[in-house]
Amino acid sequence: MEQRFKRSLDALEAVFDFVDRFAEVHRIDETAAFTARLAAEELFTNFVRHNTGGGADIAVRLDVTDNALVLALTDFDVDPVDFGRGAAPDIDLPLEKRPIGGLGIHLVRSMVDSLTYEYTGRTLHVTAVKNLEDMHV
Amino acid sequence: MFEMSRSDSGHLAFRGRLDASQAEKTRAALEELRESCIIDFSGLDYISSAGLGVLLATQKRLSESGHRLRLVRLNRHIRDVFHIAGFDRVFEIE
Repeated sequence: MEQRFKRSLDALEAVFDFVDRFAEVHRIDETAAFTARLAAEELFTNFVRHNTGGGADIAVRLDVTDNALVLALTDFDVDPVDFGRGAAPDIDLPLEKRPIGGLGIHLVRSMVDSLTYEYTGRTLHVTAVKNLEDMHV
Repeated sequence: MFEMSRSDSGHLAFRGRLDASQAEKTRAALEELRESCIIDFSGLDYISSAGLGVLLATQKRLSESGHRLRLVRLNRHIRDVFHIAGFDRVFEIE
């Protein structure tokens, strides 16, 4: 199941609707559905904010294969980006030293079972996989 | 959809989904806070890093004057997000 969305934070509502429809049709349990919503938002907003050279819509795809929920986002006609390769945030810092931001990819990486990136032919493709073992699919 | 309301007792209540599209207006509303405040999360279904950023900025600002946010009635998924972000160490959570 795939849909393309306008490159704008205003499209987030439609992205959530897309994830929720998929979760309902495939009877994905709430824990996995929550993870899918969060991963979709964090990756989508990352594309909107950092791949500013891209003007095309962003494709979001969801599949269930081999007991795993697979979320894939594709950004077209964008410059190379160092996506998701930054240092992990220090979550042990005290309040006064905690920076605002920089947690999105950390959250996704912590909540899914794999997160992979591929950049070819000016297209960025990011795939997050959440295992559905022991879950009610 | 995200909504924020204030009770007669002065507590704030969040409802819906605090995502990146709602972060700026939430940040603006929380900038009105000048004292410690309890936020009831029982109606909040979802939060992302954008929402966490808004809460962290508010907590940092309030702490400079000796005040703080106290967060109550978080659902299990939101509690997990706070734990992964290490926010359970910079917020008082009940």
